Amino acid sequence: MIAPRPYALLAEITYRCPLHCPYCSNPTQVRNDQELTANEWTRVIREAAALGVLQIGFSGGEPLARRDLAELVRAAREANLYTNLITSGIGLDDDRVGALHDAGLDSVQLSFQSDETGLADEIAGARAHQRKLNVAAKIRAEGIPLSLNFVIHRRNIDRLPQLIELAETLGAERVELANVQFYGWAFLNRAALLPTREQVVRAREIATAAKARLAGRIDIFYVLPDYYETWPKPCLNGWGQRYLTVNPIGDVLPCPTASSAIPDLRFENVRGRALDWIWRQSESFNRFRGTEWMPEPCRSCPQREIDFGGCRCQAALLTGNAATTDPVCTLSPNRSVVDEVLRDLNSSSDHPPDWTYRINPNGIQ
Amino acid sequence: MQTPTIAGSAQPRLARGVRLQTDPQTGNSVLLFPEGVLELNETSMEILARCDGQTVSEIIQSLAEEYDIDPKTLAADVREALADLQQRKLIELT
Repeated sequence: MIAPRPYALLAEITYRCPLHCPYCSNPTQVRNDQELTANEWTRVIREAAALGVLQIGFSGGEPLARRDLAELVRAAREANLYTNLITSGIGLDDDRVGALHDAGLDSVQLSFQSDETGLADEIAGARAHQRKLNVAAKIRAEGIPLSLNFVIHRRNIDRLPQLIELAETLGAERVELANVQFYGWAFLNRAALLPTREQVVRAREIATAAKARLAGRIDIFYVLPDYYETWPKPCLNGWGQRYLTVNPIGDVLPCPTASSAIPDLRFENVRGRALDWIWRQSESFNRFRGTEWMPEPCRSCPQREIDFGGCRCQAALLTGNAATTDPVCTLSPNRSVVDEVLRDLNSSSDHPPDWTYRINPNGIQ
Repeated sequence: MQTPTIAGSAQPRLARGVRLQTDPQTGNSVLLFPEGVLELNETSMEILARCDGQTVSEIIQSLAEEYDIDPKTLAADVREALADLQQRKLIELT
């Protein structure tokens, strides 16, 4: 099919991170290549803008771990892109907030692990919470729009009211309450992170009420816990439709988790190919574009242009085949894979197992 | 939800962190904000281009002159569009 134009580029500029969150969606293993240089990123940014991209999210890892971040933000603004920094906040001292703002940074999305220092630092595997509170205040003082992001899982889901209260206190304009999605480290730690059905039901009520109460003041985005849903998420608005990701070593991915979840797909690299070619022509971007690739029950499903068969990475992780219906869908012949996970969890009164903390990739400079 | 009527003296402005610019691919105006992109129709674009300190009454008057329409006919549509943008936190009223 003819490639549409992309709207947003996720620039994962490094996998290095000072935090060790067990729910991280980064790959658990990465190739030991050199990170793209600032010059290479500048070229990628210009090529993305020429392709139609209007927005860039600087992410990682922790993007502040790159000292040349302001240079990249400036390059993105020169290409007329809307720039968003997706960060833990660690490393955002006063000088850097100002420098990033001067470079044209439009918005910051700051992650928190909890509202409460002990639990937050335990989840992050680092003393981070108090520093994040300071960083939030600095961002506000600088006048940069602030969104908060909370990844919600078994250990913090019961604190949803307090998390929302923290967002109000910090003066955030937007809050993302994102139920953990199981990719990368989170997939490895699924048994420790997956909430119970009871927790999920209560959280949904709290989020819905808060959304109504704060309408017009704080926008609340509630990312659904998809294992507990009936229909799969419309992942990426369809493969190769609106989004592309470039990872720290320059691989171009339809989705940030695709490189590890779908090992049989070969991804092109910006060091070897132009972004335009990769977006339009490459096997990886065309494999699941549109509806031609779909098996039954997706192929004849009236929902096929609504949820696009769900998530290719989830299908690959749960069935070993990326070209199957997302097993979250109740029409999937593989739904029992998800149901068994939920049944095991909800019928057991055992404490969840310990999680494995995320570690930094070896050898990445 | 009941939306209160926007006063004629209110001054709508783009909310902080929201940018109005031309999409080079289409030549149309778009609003850019943290979570996304809103592609604007001509009416929204003409309204937003005037969200620069003018009051709602002035915006209605200016559009009425530009398009040679009775301001009374236009007022409800403009208010509805502004209320929608305000609800989505894309504009602020002062």
